[in-house]
Amino acid sequence: MIPLLVARNTFREATRDRVLAGVVVAGLALLALTQAASSLAMGEGRRFTVDLGLSGISVLGLLVILLTGTSLVAKEVERRTIYNLLSRPITRPAYLVGKWIGFSATLWSVALLLGLALWGLIVLRGWGGHGLAVLEAVYLAGLELSVITALAVMFSALSTPVLSALYTLGFYVAGQWSYDLRMLAEKLPKEFGSLVGVIANLVPNLPLFNMRTLAAEGHPTTWLHLALASGYAAVYVACVLCLATAAFESKDFK
Amino acid sequence: MQTSIGSIAERQTADRLAEGPVVPDAGLAVCIRGLSKHYVHPWTLRVTRGLDALDLDVRQGEVMGLLGPNGAGKTTTLKLLTGLLKPTHGRAWLMGEPVENTASRRSLGFLPEQPYFYDYLNGLEYLELAARLSGLPAAVARDRARHWLGRVGLGERPRLGLRKYSKGMLQRLGLAAALVHDPELLILDEPMSGLDPFGRRDVRDLITEQRERGVTVLFSSHILPDVEMLCDRVAIMMGGRLTRVATVGELVEDGAQAVEIRCAPGALLEIPQHWAGLVSRTQRADESVFRLEDEAQLGAVLGWLLQAGVQVRAVTPQRPTLESLFLAAAEAERERRLA
Amino acid sequence: MSPPAALDSRRRRFLTAWMAALVLGTGVFTLAGAAWRVLPHPQPLEELSYYPSGRFLEPATLGHAATAADLAWLRAVQYYGQHRATDNQFVRMGHVFDILTALDPAFLPAYSFGAFALAQEGRDFPAAERLMLKGLAANPTSGDLAFQLGFLYYVRPGGRDLQHAAEYFEQASRQADAPPQSARFAAFARQNSGDLTAAYELWSDIERSSPNLYLREIAQREMARIREALDRGHREQAMKRLTTPVVLLTGQP
Repeated sequence: MIPLLVARNTFREATRDRVLAGVVVAGLALLALTQAASSLAMGEGRRFTVDLGLSGISVLGLLVILLTGTSLVAKEVERRTIYNLLSRPITRPAYLVGKWIGFSATLWSVALLLGLALWGLIVLRGWGGHGLAVLEAVYLAGLELSVITALAVMFSALSTPVLSALYTLGFYVAGQWSYDLRMLAEKLPKEFGSLVGVIANLVPNLPLFNMRTLAAEGHPTTWLHLALASGYAAVYVACVLCLATAAFESKDFK
Repeated sequence: MQTSIGSIAERQTADRLAEGPVVPDAGLAVCIRGLSKHYVHPWTLRVTRGLDALDLDVRQGEVMGLLGPNGAGKTTTLKLLTGLLKPTHGRAWLMGEPVENTASRRSLGFLPEQPYFYDYLNGLEYLELAARLSGLPAAVARDRARHWLGRVGLGERPRLGLRKYSKGMLQRLGLAAALVHDPELLILDEPMSGLDPFGRRDVRDLITEQRERGVTVLFSSHILPDVEMLCDRVAIMMGGRLTRVATVGELVEDGAQAVEIRCAPGALLEIPQHWAGLVSRTQRADESVFRLEDEAQLGAVLGWLLQAGVQVRAVTPQRPTLESLFLAAAEAERERRLA
Repeated sequence: MSPPAALDSRRRRFLTAWMAALVLGTGVFTLAGAAWRVLPHPQPLEELSYYPSGRFLEPATLGHAATAADLAWLRAVQYYGQHRATDNQFVRMGHVFDILTALDPAFLPAYSFGAFALAQEGRDFPAAERLMLKGLAANPTSGDLAFQLGFLYYVRPGGRDLQHAAEYFEQASRQADAPPQSARFAAFARQNSGDLTAAYELWSDIERSSPNLYLREIAQREMARIREALDRGHREQAMKRLTTPVVLLTGQP
């Protein structure tokens, strides 16, 4: 119950922030731009629309996380608004989980809004056959953003907003290269390969949530992929929030 | 104050705690035993004591004031009680619950120093959130929020965004948030801070009202006249240590009573040698004022003045104020540390 | 040292959180490994393959076209290695190198590597030729690139193009960054293509200007051969019989 109260408050905070409104407008403008520019794509207008639309959701979602999500907890500590919460009968884990739920809900709202707009656009353009693949890709994009949000919450609980943004961005970039890290680990000598392999597992496996190319070609993915991605996201988020809790439990608010 | 870890007081507290679990007295709202807070510099490893082996009890229904200069450890104490800081040594209980348990904060209302709030909310939303987080159901929380918003004088514009609140309005909102769930214990850090005289009067009235309802109040303040007016007992802290706990009356009685004798301006009188240091004179435009440090000599001094033909206009006892006692205690502590 | 404060519930929460994190971390590692094994991996170049042209991609890089080219280069090399080790099918390679060099026209190794890979493994000499000509058009003063193009013509699978090879070896030799063997290769190519007059002039230049004694001796020897062949009316005596280059892919499946 308490996490949901904190979540509701966090959702309210995020949705009343002008950054979010700007991001939604930018996303819709990007979709409009894809239609204006698709004539330059030499017959690949559908692929152009879907790819740019899906990339827009991921990139804009990441932007929201870096601008707002990374100061979720840090801002409360700096401004001391957290005193009003933690002096009540709520545990620190409940607070962090609530923060994650609230912000994830915000990002899911944005992803669904832009995703449905994209889906509506491709249906209107007569590319309805791609609809399922696009919706699956939006779902995976939402999972990806939830995973990155967990990292943002963790760093925000431990550090300043600026450093949290840098750490989150670093993990995002490393996560996009996790498959390359795995391939590198297979080619290196055993000791280094094991170390690189561990790093590849520690960073979020973001390629798992990327089916943009498949969606652009109108190919839905498999149930196995969706199940693995969902399970992985749930376990990774839970693990990160546990680490955040452990660190936050020891924190003094001077 | 920077020393090595493990003062005598802490070792004594540790020995006491090692004898067996401490069960706080049921009549105590706040029970503190050997509470210490040290800060270790991450690079130099130098230890700074924010609080040093504090033992303090606050009885249920009592109003206790925490006095001390900046850096005395008042805010540290309050934060340790509310779970915002973790103690290095010692223990504390609120209404019988150890402070490390979340349950200890169920009946607690806390107002931090210079409170900040979520500026994206309005007053009503914030109080409702505070009430829900303290365990009240939604409908009850809504009603209480409305009631307390009006009670602190902010009810006319419940939907006004908090970013438009003045400092005084924020302080009042903070008090309302501390009271919205009808707590049994109020911990207030500088509740009069930033308020004009009207605001301070309102806060005093609120505290008095809560005391009459049987709520225990522990607050820190720099505004000594308010402490004198409100508190049953006062705890004076200096340099992270508790130096004195007593009622205001006990503290004031300890001070010697002085007397001020106001006379018409007249011929200059030489104060007799045997009263040097005991009697002093201040010449003002329209009167002469004699200050007698020891009221026991009042009769003799009055007799001397009347015999000298001085026209005595008024004799006024000068009770020592809490401020003068506080400053004297601070000076004594400073000398102790230098010694 | 006095014992610390009793932190039972806090310490319990702290330890519980760490234990849960370790257990969940094991789950993370397991699921990530399963996904790696069970699901198809994204192909290194597929994210680039649909862009119609690097010309439209360049504005999207927001001034970081060179970095984008570098990343594309990494992918291209990976792609090459992966397919070289497996099926020797290089379907997307020409397109990607076209994009890469459009992003960064000064990326010289991309032209050379791409062209030779296209010509050899890709078995697409016209694409290789187009790529190198594009490179020279963007970098007209590059002696290295001109030499590489000359060499590409020299080793053309199915039949050397000695005339074009000589032309570009000569062009290379006139540039500031000319590889030292450019002039010699030009002379050699001219000679073996049958243009003995031009070859004689090139060898004569080398003999006059080269600081290398060995090269001057070679020049003198070839000039003597040409003179003798022309005197006897047997031009072919001055020309070497060169083998026909073929594409050799070792370790073919």
